[in-house]
Amino acid sequence: MAKDVKPTRKNLMEIEDRIELSERGHGTLEKKRDGLIMEFMDILDKAQDVRGDLAQDYEDAQKKINMARAMEGDVAVRGAAAALQEHPEITTESKNIMGVVVPQIESSRVSKSLDQRGYGIMGTSARIDEAAEAYEDLLESIILAAEVETAMKKMLREIETTKRRVNALEFKLLPDLYDNQEYIEQKLEEQEREETFRLKKIKEKKEQQEKEERQAEAEDEAAPDVGDESTAEPDMEQSTAGGVPGGD
Amino acid sequence: MSVGASNPEYVNARVRSRRASLFADEDYRKLIRMGPSGIARFMEESEYEREINELGARFSGVDLIEYALNRNLAKHFQDLLDWSDGRLYDLIARYLRKFDVWNLKTIIRGIYTETDPEEIRTDLIMAGELDEATIDRLLEVDEIEDAIEVLNRTIYYEPLTEAYEEFEETGALVPLENALDREFYEHLLDDLSRGPIAEPQEGPEAKYVEFLQAEIDFRNARNALRLARSGADLDPASYYIEGGVLFDQSELSRLVNDYDALVDHIGENKRYGKRLSGAMDRLRNADSLIQFEHALDAALLEYADTLSSIYPASISAVLSYILAKEREVENIRAIARGREVGLEESEIEEELVIL
Repeated sequence: MAKDVKPTRKNLMEIEDRIELSERGHGTLEKKRDGLIMEFMDILDKAQDVRGDLAQDYEDAQKKINMARAMEGDVAVRGAAAALQEHPEITTESKNIMGVVVPQIESSRVSKSLDQRGYGIMGTSARIDEAAEAYEDLLESIILAAEVETAMKKMLREIETTKRRVNALEFKLLPDLYDNQEYIEQKLEEQEREETFRLKKIKEKKEQQEKEERQAEAEDEAAPDVGDESTAEPDMEQSTAGGVPGGD
Repeated sequence: MSVGASNPEYVNARVRSRRASLFADEDYRKLIRMGPSGIARFMEESEYEREINELGARFSGVDLIEYALNRNLAKHFQDLLDWSDGRLYDLIARYLRKFDVWNLKTIIRGIYTETDPEEIRTDLIMAGELDEATIDRLLEVDEIEDAIEVLNRTIYYEPLTEAYEEFEETGALVPLENALDREFYEHLLDDLSRGPIAEPQEGPEAKYVEFLQAEIDFRNARNALRLARSGADLDPASYYIEGGVLFDQSELSRLVNDYDALVDHIGENKRYGKRLSGAMDRLRNADSLIQFEHALDAALLEYADTLSSIYPASISAVLSYILAKEREVENIRAIARGREVGLEESEIEEELVIL
């Protein structure tokens, strides 16, 4: 990854911006994850209670219907059940828990009074009433369990997603960005060092050149001090010296 | 209604032999230890052989047992009607109307839920007065209103027509079912009791009236306790059945709102208090009415047995047999269903079977 990035200052600035954003996002997502986990734990407690109640209600309802079937007969129980065509109504709305949309299930006409169950009161018994009541309670529990467990599953899915995002930021995106940042910084430093070295070299060369020039000048200045006779000689030497490279 | 002289001696002689073939306590003890298939086999070697063999190809398991029991019950009770004449016929028939009411309710429920007529027919118990032709015509109709029209020459026509208006308003079968049950109970005491003064004080008919009053009282007590427990805003007067001695209508309406007073009222009754004292104690402490109903059933059976021993050649003895036969059917069914759903032997013995 780091090798793909051009080590430019512009890129470094961009990466620094992304790191800042990702760190901020990481912090926020961590908070969200922790919040979701706390909410989830509350829902989990509720779900466990609801599950326990559901199991208990199911057992009760089974026992009551078995007793009713045994004492009144299967035909009588089926007959009493057939006396009602109306079904309970279930409506779903939604509520938001930390950004997670969970269902809110409202039920009506589940629990019924004695006269709403369809069968006649005068010809039936308390066994059928109790079985009907137990099944109404069971249905209420099932509806509540459906609401709580759906919320729990949705929360769990959201926690997983958030966790994956946090992990992706923490263990992939941010390390990559840090690597890139380090790479670019190193490269830039290296470039800077090279530049410094190059400038130093140029400077050295320049200084050398200046030194030589100065030396040459000094020599030039020193030459007239030797005598007039020798004035022609340096010229000759100079032309000779100049003539040699030209001869090459 | 049958014409001719009443023949209680003849009917009771036949009933005594039938009574002798009822299952004994030791048979129940054997059955309790068996599974459903064992029970079916046991029945195959008993009084129920014919029904088990007839229905064996259509049903299996506990359903076979239940349908065989119902068919056998119907056969026995039809025999009672065939044997009896005159007033005895009337007295037996009016008690067996409970099966007509059962059949009518089953048919109305079937029409209401658009069930296949053959399936409805399976659940009928042909032990009442309504003949096959009427039942066939009822099974052919598609609307409850048409079913009521089929009954236009019976005692059920008028109450059903009245209740039909309420059914149309609410869409619930409750008024129709209540009308049928009320019709059964309120005709039980026709020309037998027109108030305490008109009641015969001695003789088999007086005891018969006493038994029917107990049946009505126990039904009123059950319904009152159910209403009181349910807390529903229902008018107790509309569930009151005339003819009993335990409550009058205003008393019942008042007591339904006070559960404890209602229980005390039943417990303090001179006629039933002692008989039901154990059940009343359990009722005060328990959440459920089931044990109380169980005790009422047992008390009613005991009542009928006592009456039959006082007047062995009267309608009471026939009635006692009817109850004993019903009890046998209920016990076998309870044992079979109990075993099917895995109830313990002790549970079946304690909670289901009345010996």
